[in-house]
Amino acid sequence: METNNQQQQQQGAQAQSGPYPVAGAGGSAGAGAGAPPPFQHLLQQQQQQLQMFWSYQRQEIEHVNDFKNHQLPLARIKKIMKADEDVRMISAEAPILFAKACELFILELTIRSWLHAEENKRRTLQKNDIAAAITRTDIFDFLVDIVPRDEIKDDAALVGATASGVPYYYPPIGQPAGMMIGRPAVDPATGVYVQPPSQAWQSVWQSAAEDASYGTGGAGAQRSLDGQS
Amino acid sequence: MEDESHNNILPNGFNTGSTESPCLKTSTMTTQHNNNNNHQNHSNKEQDRFLPIANVGRIMKKVIPPNGKISKDAKETVQECVSEFISFVTGEASDKCQREKRKTINGDDVIWAITTLGFEDYVEPLKTYLQKYKEIEGEKLNIPKQLRSEQRLHQHQQNHNNNHDENNNQPFNGAYASSNLISQPPYVPTDQKFSLPFSPNSIQNQLRQQEQIDSVGHWYE
Repeated sequence: METNNQQQQQQGAQAQSGPYPVAGAGGSAGAGAGAPPPFQHLLQQQQQQLQMFWSYQRQEIEHVNDFKNHQLPLARIKKIMKADEDVRMISAEAPILFAKACELFILELTIRSWLHAEENKRRTLQKNDIAAAITRTDIFDFLVDIVPRDEIKDDAALVGATASGVPYYYPPIGQPAGMMIGRPAVDPATGVYVQPPSQAWQSVWQSAAEDASYGTGGAGAQRSLDGQS
Repeated sequence: MEDESHNNILPNGFNTGSTESPCLKTSTMTTQHNNNNNHQNHSNKEQDRFLPIANVGRIMKKVIPPNGKISKDAKETVQECVSEFISFVTGEASDKCQREKRKTINGDDVIWAITTLGFEDYVEPLKTYLQKYKEIEGEKLNIPKQLRSEQRLHQHQQNHNNNHDENNNQPFNGAYASSNLISQPPYVPTDQKFSLPFSPNSIQNQLRQQEQIDSVGHWYE
């Protein structure tokens, strides 16, 4: 019930964001160039959510103390690594490290994909959402061949709809938070929208913390999140 | 009578050891053979190219709202993306090892590759993760894998094992397994006796091990 209320609040916030003027010269220029306010709002929301995600991951890993219960099977990871004929020997720590790296990769890809589903008012993550996340994120360039052309074409249509706004916003998505272009423009907006996204994702983090096999880590994460809010 | 029992212990112990060692070796070879068969079978399976879809789906659900759903083709696409990610990073790490004339890919190579390929947000969490792994698992890794599961039952053996170098590892394991078997119900050797070439050090090791068995008192019963 709380989650539903939070989501309703978030939706309300999104609706209210329409008439709000965009602060900052850079942001204003971007908006003036043709990017609809809702789209820009979602981009800012995505940045905030990804920042919270990475902050949460750093805290969770600080509390990890069990390297035997992995989310992903080590033998399978090793087999995929050995598919490369040039790979000869693999130390014990490499597949274990990959298990965590792959988890982070899946989580980031899923967050970016889900935001695309939200832009299209859907509650089911689809293949074209994955394709959209891949085409929008520089570090995922190596995955372009994974998704069929028709999926990319579908996304191209969306990109076309907001072509004038996209070039300005792509760099911030791919860069570290501290070096984000247009940072001054984001601050006022962040101040305005900080609560709804935070509340929505807190429920997700807490759910994730409960799912996590590290009880101590979960507790620590929850305390940290409470401290933040 | 004491002299007779003493004489009996030595020949019996030696024969028992020599009889069991080839059995262990045969068992090991059989295991390796099975592993080879499994490997060949698995390498032909399509499934083995990806991580299990259930694991991938479970991780994906962590970051979508409770009432959100994930289509199967989305999960399958992420499965493919993860395998590509592993190959992408592994290839970069492997290239680095070859340039540096090293054969083994280690954790630091993986982190270096991830940094080079632009996954900057991943670096700090993974460095912390690797550091913690080394702190926690480092001590355990010094114990041979075969002994790890028997730590509680053979705690006293750890110190003894640490005194041995790798050259004596194989005969020691054979003797150790022999000790383990003795603790079970009476063992009757049915295999034909074998004569095996032992190095002087190996033989001395066997004799020393037998002395320990004697001290435990099993042979007197």
